[in-house]
Amino acid sequence: MSVIKINNLTKTYHETEVPVHAVNGISLDFKKGEFAAIVGPSGCGKTTLMNMIGGLDKPTSGEVEVSEIDISQLSSSKLIDFRLRNIGFVFQAYNLIPVLTAKENVEFIMQLQNWDKKEMNDRTINLLESVGLGGKINSRPNQMSGGEQQRVAVARALASKPQFVLADEPTANLDSHATSQLLDIMKKLNEDENITFIFSTHDQRVIDKALRVITLEDGKVISDEAKSKKVKD
Amino acid sequence: MMLIKIAWRNIWRSKLRSAVVIFAIASGLVGGLFSSAWMKGMANQRVKSTFELETAHIQFHNPDFIDNFDVKKTIVSSAEKLEELSNIEGVKAVTGRLKTSAMAATANKNMGVTIFGVNPKTEKDVFGIYKKIDSVSGNFFNTKKKNSIVISKALAEELKVRLKSKIVLTFQDYNGQITGAAFKVIGLFKTDNSTWDKMHVFVEDDDLRRVLELPEDQSHEIDILLNDYAQASIISEQLEIKYPNILIEDWSKIQPYTSFITDYMDIMMGVFMLIILGALGFGIVNTMLMVILERTKELGMLMAIGMTKKRVFEMIMFETILLALVGAFIGEILSMFLINYFGKAGIDLSAWADGMESVGYSALTYPALEPYSYIQITIMVLITGILASIYPAIKALKLNPAEALRTV
Repeated sequence: MSVIKINNLTKTYHETEVPVHAVNGISLDFKKGEFAAIVGPSGCGKTTLMNMIGGLDKPTSGEVEVSEIDISQLSSSKLIDFRLRNIGFVFQAYNLIPVLTAKENVEFIMQLQNWDKKEMNDRTINLLESVGLGGKINSRPNQMSGGEQQRVAVARALASKPQFVLADEPTANLDSHATSQLLDIMKKLNEDENITFIFSTHDQRVIDKALRVITLEDGKVISDEAKSKKVKD
Repeated sequence: MMLIKIAWRNIWRSKLRSAVVIFAIASGLVGGLFSSAWMKGMANQRVKSTFELETAHIQFHNPDFIDNFDVKKTIVSSAEKLEELSNIEGVKAVTGRLKTSAMAATANKNMGVTIFGVNPKTEKDVFGIYKKIDSVSGNFFNTKKKNSIVISKALAEELKVRLKSKIVLTFQDYNGQITGAAFKVIGLFKTDNSTWDKMHVFVEDDDLRRVLELPEDQSHEIDILLNDYAQASIISEQLEIKYPNILIEDWSKIQPYTSFITDYMDIMMGVFMLIILGALGFGIVNTMLMVILERTKELGMLMAIGMTKKRVFEMIMFETILLALVGAFIGEILSMFLINYFGKAGIDLSAWADGMESVGYSALTYPALEPYSYIQITIMVLITGILASIYPAIKALKLNPAEALRTV
């Protein structure tokens, strides 16, 4: 079953005299439970594509359908609500709310959705334990390492039970040990909760873990390789 | 609740910057509130001294007396009226007075004055002139001697007289004849209004009545002191019904200036605080714009993960309001402390006493501010916080999450 369906997606910037086609006619299909990496050199259109999949940017043409809803047609306020309920984000630079503890950061998303207090508390504790931070629930971001912060970000991304998680260069600022830990956690959550993970990355360690690798160049898909049977299905 | 928690904690992210803004708000409020309390204290003293020395709270006159102090235009059956008035609820004390214009003459100088013929006993219940005579300056009719007079030190200086000196008062009597008598100075008072002091003298009503040839049981003025001066207009309206042939005026009609200065001080205080808060508001706007600039990426992240524009707006508004309220709280506590301290100790402006007393103000001022003023200021700060948050919040709402996330 497709979670995300991208049809002939383009994004053209007209900031200079010569139009720049950041994404140029990409069509892709992501199924539930995929663990996919979008790779390619800098400027190939990875982030632009991720932003359009995440509803952070509007395409020039084409569609992004999430569960059969064309999100490129949604108004800005509906898009915000859609992102809140359907998409988890993990950013490159951790991007936690610095004044909140790990627990509060994870709860924040659920509070925006008016979750029941007890249910919210239980899920937060579970998620933080599942990313190995059960002992740091009351730590603020500045009291945690980069790897720990990124694990909180993963827990936050999963908090509202999204349909998929978009992770933009999630390991770019991590050392190899933290990267390995983070990838193992994300892989486990992907398997346990059957949530689709899509990465944009340069990191070979992420590419090695991914079960599907989509390579972009000049805004176009030049290869789309599946590594496991599960994805091919 | 979470938004308020984030807003509150955000304030303390940049402690120095927040401290500067809080200090600016607090010091602005201390300056504004203390100045207002000072002005209010001066006004209150002026009003109090007007009641205590000049007008009481309500006055009765014959309607034709006021125009030219015609001694024939009296209130008849004044003893009965005084008795009735003293039994009215809300009335603290009453007294009757004779009043006429006269020329005060000594060997050195003549001056026009207004003579009050007073009953020393009831006069002391209503007016406080007797308190303005210090221990070495005589007394307020403690003597039984006839033709005694109490004048001000300022008038004594003008007329070059002192205690036990004689002054000749010349005026028109009840029959329209020019008459006069010599009075011996037994007391010298000094109020905070040197101009008023020079124009008023006090004699016993029996002495003045005799010289004026005024029939018994008639007065030119009845003065009423109430338990609460704020009730003056209500009680005077009730009295107007009871005594339709008498001109009854409350203090605000007798002394419109006194009424005006209390209202004027309130308006001035409001304008003054608006100017201060307006200036502080621009400072807060500037600070919050810096905050938005610094947190562009964070705001982008919040919008990306699903925080609505309304909530972003609220978060910035809460932060601005809380910042302003912390400054207001500190400023108000400091102001309260200062106003209470100087409210008891007073601010001594003796160096400018002559100038101040010539316009009726005391050189020793006691700042005072009603509790409701602090509530008003808190509301004004709250409104300033809300207004100051609007522009930075709009700036934040214009951020594109994808672009904001790319900022360093």
